[in-house]
Amino acid sequence: MSTTLKVAEMQLSPTAVTAVSRVMVVVLLGIGLTWASDGFFTPANLVSVLRQASLLFLLACGLTLVILAGGLDLSVGANLGLCACLAAAVIKGTGSPLCGALVGVSVGSAIGVVNGLLVTTLRLPAFIATYGMLWILHGLTYAFMAGETIHGFPPGFRYIGGGFLAGVPVPVIVTGLSLLAGTVLLQRTVFGQELYAIGANPVAAFLSGIPVKRRQITVYAVSGAMAGLASLVYLARMNAAEGDIGEPLLMPAIAAVLVGGTALSGGRGSLIGTMVGALLLTLVLNGMNLLGVNANWQPIITGAISLGSLLLERLGAPRRA
Amino acid sequence: MRDIALTRARTAGFKLPQLPGVVWMLIAMIAAFSAWTPSFFSLANLTNVALQSSNLAMLALPMTLIVMSEGIDLSVGSTASLVGVMFALVTLGTGSVALGAISGVLTGLLVGLINGWLVAVHALPPFVVTLATLGIVQGASLLIAEGQVTNGLPPVAHWLYDGTVLGVSTPIVGAALTYVLFHRLLYHTRFGGYVFALGGNREALQVSGVGIRRWLIAAYAMGGTFAAFAGLILAARIDGGQPTAAASMEFDAIAAVVVGGTSFDKGKGGLPGTLLGVIAVGVLKNGLNLASVASATQVTMIGLFVILAVLVDGRRRA
Amino acid sequence: MAELNARPAPKTPGSAETRKAPLLELSGITKRFSGVTALDGMSLSLWPGEVHVLMGENGAGKSTLMKVLCGAHEADDGKFFSNGAQVTLGSTGAARALGVSVIFQEFTLVPHLSVARNIFLGREPVVGPLRQLDHRKMHADARRLLDRLAVDLDTRLEVHSLSTAQQQLVEIAKALSVDARILVLDEPTAALSDRESERLFALIRELKARGVAMVYISHRMAEVFSIGDRVTVIRDGKHVATMLPGQTSPDQLVSLMVGRKVDTNYSRSYCHVPGPVVADVRQVVSRTGLRDVSLKVHRGEIVGLTGLVGSGRTELARAVFGADPIESGSIELFGEPAQGGPHQRRALGVALVPESRKTQGLALEHSVHANLMVSALGKHSAAGFLQLRRAARTVQDLIHRLSIATSTAGKAAGKLSGGNQQKIVIGKWLAAQARLYILDEPTRGIDVGAKEEVFRLVDKLVKQGASVLMISSELHEIVQVCDRAYVMREGRIAGHLGRDQLREQAILSLAMNHA
Repeated sequence: MSTTLKVAEMQLSPTAVTAVSRVMVVVLLGIGLTWASDGFFTPANLVSVLRQASLLFLLACGLTLVILAGGLDLSVGANLGLCACLAAAVIKGTGSPLCGALVGVSVGSAIGVVNGLLVTTLRLPAFIATYGMLWILHGLTYAFMAGETIHGFPPGFRYIGGGFLAGVPVPVIVTGLSLLAGTVLLQRTVFGQELYAIGANPVAAFLSGIPVKRRQITVYAVSGAMAGLASLVYLARMNAAEGDIGEPLLMPAIAAVLVGGTALSGGRGSLIGTMVGALLLTLVLNGMNLLGVNANWQPIITGAISLGSLLLERLGAPRRA
Repeated sequence: MRDIALTRARTAGFKLPQLPGVVWMLIAMIAAFSAWTPSFFSLANLTNVALQSSNLAMLALPMTLIVMSEGIDLSVGSTASLVGVMFALVTLGTGSVALGAISGVLTGLLVGLINGWLVAVHALPPFVVTLATLGIVQGASLLIAEGQVTNGLPPVAHWLYDGTVLGVSTPIVGAALTYVLFHRLLYHTRFGGYVFALGGNREALQVSGVGIRRWLIAAYAMGGTFAAFAGLILAARIDGGQPTAAASMEFDAIAAVVVGGTSFDKGKGGLPGTLLGVIAVGVLKNGLNLASVASATQVTMIGLFVILAVLVDGRRRA
Repeated sequence: MAELNARPAPKTPGSAETRKAPLLELSGITKRFSGVTALDGMSLSLWPGEVHVLMGENGAGKSTLMKVLCGAHEADDGKFFSNGAQVTLGSTGAARALGVSVIFQEFTLVPHLSVARNIFLGREPVVGPLRQLDHRKMHADARRLLDRLAVDLDTRLEVHSLSTAQQQLVEIAKALSVDARILVLDEPTAALSDRESERLFALIRELKARGVAMVYISHRMAEVFSIGDRVTVIRDGKHVATMLPGQTSPDQLVSLMVGRKVDTNYSRSYCHVPGPVVADVRQVVSRTGLRDVSLKVHRGEIVGLTGLVGSGRTELARAVFGADPIESGSIELFGEPAQGGPHQRRALGVALVPESRKTQGLALEHSVHANLMVSALGKHSAAGFLQLRRAARTVQDLIHRLSIATSTAGKAAGKLSGGNQQKIVIGKWLAAQARLYILDEPTRGIDVGAKEEVFRLVDKLVKQGASVLMISSELHEIVQVCDRAYVMREGRIAGHLGRDQLREQAILSLAMNHA
């Protein structure tokens, strides 16, 4: 038996059908946009779409893991914002992108650990704990930046956001690696399978001998670290850091996760789904741009897509006992 | 006499042990700020605090009911902004403040009904639903306001903020009326009991043959409607509609509710506590402002308060 | 033995003679749940002012009968009569209309509302055009209701601040406020002290005088004879006997409750020479209700653990498995003091098959493969990475060994039958190579064939050196399968029965405090 069959067995069966249909929607969108707008199927635009989707995925990746394990992290956007600003300051200050990167990822992980502790050890409901963190982080970011903007990073660093490696945009490579690593983590490691088990039924997971609390803290830490990583790529692409860099990112990240087929209740979903979701969302927003639709429609469409996904999931799954 | 007071206090929906938490905090803050910044404890400043707090009260009081029903509404801030924009546009467009106000209130009601419908009928998680509607409403405000003149309201509109009713500032009167209304609703109508049951034991409603969905929708509808009122007053204050006028006010409202002692489950909560929470948030922001603390840091502190408050509430129950 | 369906002897003169037909009569009531017949032609008659005790073992059909009475479940067959006229009892509304009210063990009270508001929830008296609550009337009415029941409670108190006994009284008052003529009380004294029970009995006598009929479900033998007017024994969903307390005895009642004909041909060779001690529980006390429990399990035995519902069996299982902390006492497993929780227990080789497989034992949406592997992921991995082929082989092997009926290992566990689901739960611990299996009601809700398979499996396990602690409410199972058994009662070990003493009657007597 080939190994791909094994992977399919470990994943949740009915998602195969819905996953294919999501990919089909992406393809259809692509075809539709090519027909509707001249500017769509150009190398420059496609690269831009890929870059954008990659950035979105990086942030949504950690969030997907947390949700799969039955949790929730509303602070990912704010986390990214804080890490980006701190990393920016360090890069400018020390001239070393490496130092900045280390700071970014470590701060992100630390925030993740705090979230994890709030939810597991202190037993706060995840949505209010991470919502409170969201504001705390926003406040810290704004206070730190004091209205200033940090810009002008060394070209070596900017390469991460804007450069190419063997013809492929660097963010896409980073995303591809993350997608690969994450999927291997979920499907092929003990940790990943335990996450699925915890998300599907935390009581049964506990009584099966899985150390639930420890795993939850870890997954929040991973989510935080991914936010830190994503912040570096954002920084490199935007070449600037401002106080509000993280604010508008939460909704698209959640939308990508929901559209990708991950259930909010946990135990069901995949990173590939989130990638498809990120692509879909980016295509829609890109299309809107090309067709000259007012940019203010973007949050409306993002919100509507999220609600639509939730409704579809709810209506299509009444079999849940 | 004392027994009656005791039992009255219990009937009013908050228990005496709860009271010291918020009250002590208030007393401590007032003392600290008075010592730190001399201008704090002046009539002018305290009136200012009351004025700022009244808008928040209009968001926080309905939020109390929603939180008591095991829900949350993150969209009230952006709803208030949208209503402000609608109000300005309709007023300036038709010349009628009344029309503007009515369209604003209806807008808020509509948003609330949509939230309620998604949460009650489709059983979608409240935080995601209202997070999505937050974004949708925000985008709508920006769209509608774009390229339009939304400033320069007629003097009649200004009365909403600058005016007085029997010598008391209109916003404060508005907040007081809101409090009276919700107090009546929560403690003196059947609906109030249902709100407690929605969070405390929904089975009790089923067993008694009471509809659960309609009252849940009602709670969110009220949230939207009173967000509209807050939006109108805010528009009067800044002389126009701004798409981001009330952005993040929902956070202050939630903070006020949580600090005031309402829980996210078990249907425990109370309006007096929320009122004190509103005043506490108002005092905190005002005092920090006077002490020249950046508003960003204020946000951080309020966030810490929220987490602390939920923690303490959890400990108390354990 | 005398079986009577006669009218109760009237305790107050001149009250019962005027009644011609029972207040409520059930005739031939049958209820099935996916292949299991919970009620089989059950009949019961309730007269005004009588306390009708309903007795039966766990799983005899009492809770199904309660649900049918309150309209939560609709009967598949049979008739209902109210005062001689036929009626339908298919919904909660119909039950309410007939005046039936069930007082379950979990109350339907809103914690932060007052006593009065809870009593009148949904029907609070209102006044004025704005329909404001009439507090004075509400509290006065509540006060009057409570006074008539001789309950002394401040109606303004919030319900969460009341004791369980007081909450129960409020729940009863709530039922009476809708004019309940028939009250069903489910183990009402289970959570009450003696004094509180006395108060409840006084209330019951008051209700009798008012003509309220009560179905009183209880295991406490003493109560049957002190407060019961008639007693009905139910067994396997069937009506066995209805008698006046004065015409029967505790022994007779017990023997009526047991003695089901054995429906399997299963037999095993019992263990007479047990190995070393694998589990040593000493004087364990826990906040979950264990009050000084001690027991031992040796290698190679199947030790039974039984008792009535609520006697602490599951709590003991959880304590041994580390799912709940203990306050005092000690637990030694395989010679070592037990530390930590289920995670550590798993490493030691201890397994728990929980009581409710759907909510506690399985991830229903996940595949058979995933569920079988969940406790053995570590054993099928190298450096954290899963060894997929090994895992697949183990899964196939288990499916074969346990005869789990599924076409592929990728099928969702929720789609399998109860028996197969239970095999998965046991199977996951086989995969984890457990040595001590704690089974909590392993054969609940599965068909006869599957039951037998489970027993054979358990027998094979202990013959290969494992040990089993098995909780079961089915007494004949305990007698057939176990080498010896502990009987629990109210959080303690009421007694121990060796192989020669293991009889259903003996177990039940110990469980009900009638030795």
